[in-house]
Amino acid sequence: MTCTVNGVPRTADDVWEGESLLYVLRERLGLPGSKNACEQGECGSCTVYLDGTAVCSCLVAAGQAVGREVVTVEGLSGGPDAEPGPVQRAFLAAGAVQCGFCTPGLIVAVDDLLSRNPHPTDPQIREALAGNLCRCTGYEKIMEAVRLAAGGQA
Amino acid sequence: MTTAIGRPIDRVDGPAKVTGAGRYSADVPLPGLVHAVVVGSRIPAGRIISIDTRAAEQANGVLAVLTHLNLPKGGSVPPLVPSLAGAAATGQTFFPMQDEVIHYAGQHVAVVVAETLEQAEHAATLLRIDYAAAPFVTTVEQGREQAYEARRIFGGFLPGRVERGDVDAGLAEAAVTVDLGYRYAANHHNPIECSATTAVWQGDRLTVYDATQGPNATLHTLAELLNVMPSHIRVVTDFVGGSFGCKAMIWDHPALAALAARHVGRPVRLALSREQMFSSVGHREQQEQQLTLGADAQGRLTAVRHHKLSPTSHFDDWAEPSLGVASQLYACPNYQGVYRLIRANTMTPTFTRCPGEASGMFALETALDELAERLGLDPLEIRLRNYAETTPGDGTPWSSKKLRECYRRGAELAGWDRRDPRVGALRDGDTLLGWGMATSAYPCYQPGNPQRARARLYADGSAVVQASISDIGTGSATAMTQVAADGLGVQLERVRFQYGDSDLPNTAAAVGSAGAGMVSAAVHVATTALRDQLIAQALADPGSPLHGADPRQVTVAEGRMALRERPDVGETYAALLQRAFMADAEAVGTWNPPPDTSGGSMTFGAQFAQVAVDPDLGLVRVRRLIGVFDAGRILNRKTAHSQLMGGMIWGMSHALLEGTRMGPDGRWANASLGEYLVPVNADAPEVVVETVESTDTVVNPLGVKGVGEVGMVGTAAAIANAIHHATGKRLHRLPITIEDLL
Amino acid sequence: MMDFLTPVTWADALAVKADRPEAVPVAGGTDVMVELNFHRRRPAALLDLTRVPELAAWGRDGDVLRVGAGVSYTRLIEELGGLLPGLAAASRTVGSPQIRNRGTLGGNLGSASPAGDGHPPLLAAGAVVELASVRGTREVPVADFFTGPKRSVLAPDELIAAVLVAPADGPEQFAKIGTRNAMVIAVSSFALALHPGRRSVGTGIGSAAPTPRRAPEAEEFAAAHLPWDGPGPLDPDLARRFGELVSAAAAPIDDVRGTAAYRRHSLSVLARRTLTWAWEELCE
Repeated sequence: MTCTVNGVPRTADDVWEGESLLYVLRERLGLPGSKNACEQGECGSCTVYLDGTAVCSCLVAAGQAVGREVVTVEGLSGGPDAEPGPVQRAFLAAGAVQCGFCTPGLIVAVDDLLSRNPHPTDPQIREALAGNLCRCTGYEKIMEAVRLAAGGQA
Repeated sequence: MTTAIGRPIDRVDGPAKVTGAGRYSADVPLPGLVHAVVVGSRIPAGRIISIDTRAAEQANGVLAVLTHLNLPKGGSVPPLVPSLAGAAATGQTFFPMQDEVIHYAGQHVAVVVAETLEQAEHAATLLRIDYAAAPFVTTVEQGREQAYEARRIFGGFLPGRVERGDVDAGLAEAAVTVDLGYRYAANHHNPIECSATTAVWQGDRLTVYDATQGPNATLHTLAELLNVMPSHIRVVTDFVGGSFGCKAMIWDHPALAALAARHVGRPVRLALSREQMFSSVGHREQQEQQLTLGADAQGRLTAVRHHKLSPTSHFDDWAEPSLGVASQLYACPNYQGVYRLIRANTMTPTFTRCPGEASGMFALETALDELAERLGLDPLEIRLRNYAETTPGDGTPWSSKKLRECYRRGAELAGWDRRDPRVGALRDGDTLLGWGMATSAYPCYQPGNPQRARARLYADGSAVVQASISDIGTGSATAMTQVAADGLGVQLERVRFQYGDSDLPNTAAAVGSAGAGMVSAAVHVATTALRDQLIAQALADPGSPLHGADPRQVTVAEGRMALRERPDVGETYAALLQRAFMADAEAVGTWNPPPDTSGGSMTFGAQFAQVAVDPDLGLVRVRRLIGVFDAGRILNRKTAHSQLMGGMIWGMSHALLEGTRMGPDGRWANASLGEYLVPVNADAPEVVVETVESTDTVVNPLGVKGVGEVGMVGTAAAIANAIHHATGKRLHRLPITIEDLL
Repeated sequence: MMDFLTPVTWADALAVKADRPEAVPVAGGTDVMVELNFHRRRPAALLDLTRVPELAAWGRDGDVLRVGAGVSYTRLIEELGGLLPGLAAASRTVGSPQIRNRGTLGGNLGSASPAGDGHPPLLAAGAVVELASVRGTREVPVADFFTGPKRSVLAPDELIAAVLVAPADGPEQFAKIGTRNAMVIAVSSFALALHPGRRSVGTGIGSAAPTPRRAPEAEEFAAAHLPWDGPGPLDPDLARRFGELVSAAAAPIDDVRGTAAYRRHSLSVLARRTLTWAWEELCE
């Protein structure tokens, strides 16, 4: 199976087409940034871009991603060792990260939200992030992070 | 001198988390890694007649299928002792796959190991297991008749009955009484990260990457379960994706991972699925409480009788201590608390955020609201009239208590004096509005063992400080970096706190809101010991400008020792070490905790809720939550307030959403994130959190009382009281459902 | 092993489905992938429909809109919100942005869940499902499409091609009860379409019967009694009676999300409210 991940053409061998894109990323391509937490699209921890659209990678069959462009949280900072991007910096500054397990999916979801709507209202933020469960923060700090990122202050 | 403590600095582990670089226990890459999946029993009681493993064993990539027939023998199951004690901490005194008997649905009956996770999961579906089902009890309703009074609960740590004064006499003299029955659904923790263990053997040495609140708890439990010397086990926990109690005790999957790894001779990862999280790592038990309050005409409590009934497992007498805080919060001379248990076909229940405090205080704080209404008193006033100036038990002073200040500030933020007390008086169109309040409190538990940390200062003035504790998302690693910087007197950015590894100096598990207090104590002791050691070295060194000075006159800031009165006289740590040709200096600090302080030391809070109710549909929307807390010293305002806010949302969720239902087949009926609903962003109200700092010289050296749980305690009651204010309905069941409000 | 079939034209897709009727169609994966992830099933073949461009298209066909089965909820909201406001409103309540980006109208119909959010507005709008196979194409009214919980008239060799539906010619409303404010399966839901031109009313009930269904008596009652000639404030008794008739049309059960009694009650409230809102909209 071949697709482009974070700008780099990648090939995974022995892929069973029914396995999820999330599984391919985590288990076959060594990209565990996207998290596996519900496998049914309820938590958003596995959110990635597929051809520029934010999706739950657990609900994309590996075969559906063939030849497509995938961007994961690792790709938003240009690599795990690179400097964090603006949304990532906003999460740090606002204290929107606690255990961090929902964070990678949220970072992608917020990046997607701000690319479509650079200055969202609070209700728009809450609605846009409704598919990303966070069990630690109570969401308030995540709201702050999005406002920070939208204001270009991070 | 304090410079770092209290500052809202960014998380030290944040960059790794926002870039996806953080390696959680199911992310650790290891050469030759293979995957194990557990298979749970379909029935809640009975026995296995046969397991046909042939199809699974022949499936692609399968390396082993382990069942009770061939699981390698290990050691023995240690007693159930809370992991705060610092020793082995098994979640239940039952280890599966020893025989064919089934005690609860989901009980692990097989482990399938394969080259890939997909292959292991597929092979697991090929097992053919025949069961002989037996009658079972899984709920209060089914087991009510066979309930018994517990001698001790909670791993033997608490008595099953507590009394003071004469509760019957207190009720007899009461001018007003309320007698209320409460029902609570079971809850499951559902951190976003499911539990996972990666185990690798090198000869007779075992390394385990485990999602745990206590690397040492995992170590000691594995040592006993596997009969391996503790010296030969290392537990590493770099990141934990939330826990809320389900990783506080050590369940069977880390040992099964280790046994499987030894069996196949390869590193093994065992990650529980979301569904398995509902039957592998404990739960908050379903329960009923009966609460009777008596008060005189002025609203002063004359008696509190509080009984609880709940199912436990067939192995352990476990009940979350629902009666504890509720028995200690108000000045009342006559009290009786009794725990009754039912032997049920569930696993042993366990700690779930605010274990007991949330359910017990929901009863007390809603009953008090009802009592206030009966007496025509303001809900805040009745709490002030029963304010306990000293501990209700033996009258000893509190270690610190600024609850009155919390009430005052919370009421101010809520505009409580503008509240029209009449039910249904506040409206927004057709929507009914209500304001409610409740008190919060959470005990300061102490670890059972000495807490240790090591501090090392290098010749350039940078420092590494170590303790074994894991950071489950609370921010402890960040706070400890701040404590270490202040203890040593060096700049924050020169300190690295290393943690999450059982090879590091011993700490107990990060549980019971005690982590920050106990580990900060160890870090403080270690870093100040190293500071004093270096000062002593300078004073003794003829080459030092501080030679011969009075050590009490020396202070340290930004890595430089100097005389308090003459700051120009001094030198840096770096200069001292370099002159002595020392590459580093090191000290280990040990903090011996005081005896149990949970009776006389608590975090406190005042919580206020504003709700909107659609009376035609029974829909509740929480509009605003306010919490003001006395949690002692706050180490990092940013992380601490986030913990409190998160706790408040947990309380809202406890009130309105969370409940695990037992199906008629004896299995949890809603074991997924699609059916066990937790709040989404769109459910979150405006949340206001403030802290009132108090000085506490009893709990630990820095006076840290803990923020992990107290935010949740009063929230559900404040919401229920607000719903009553809006609708006139008294709600005695959690979660509150839409049907309850019609 | 499972075959993964990836037709790139509609003709190919139909040929593959004729050849492999056991192949499970997958588009957004919001149902099928969950089954696979949970190892509840391992079909002999998956038929990926995400590379068939015809399915992702929509356009006018005379008086009706032909909406390809592969159009996502996000596109229904963004591209068809003005033409099909009821369906767009229902689509906004589906899952999260991630789910709406992937989930499709055809997938919703194919799963035939009694709680499918897209079904009530399609029922209210009198939509028709276009089913196709190598044998030909047939058109089935949405009201006749569902045969039971998760069952439909779809034949093994057929695929859902499109939905045919007239653009709204009057106010459309959708309301849904859930215990959360988002990411929730309906406890009950209701869709309403007013057709002032022909003085008729369409309804759709969700999550309150073995299949999504209309409330014909309520439709006839409202059509006969709404003050079409002199639009003005709605008689509360009329709205209440409409609600009662909608409620009476339901055949709910008790389940984990709610009781039958609550479902009936809430439907009467939703029907009353949506009729009131729609009428106000008409009068503006």
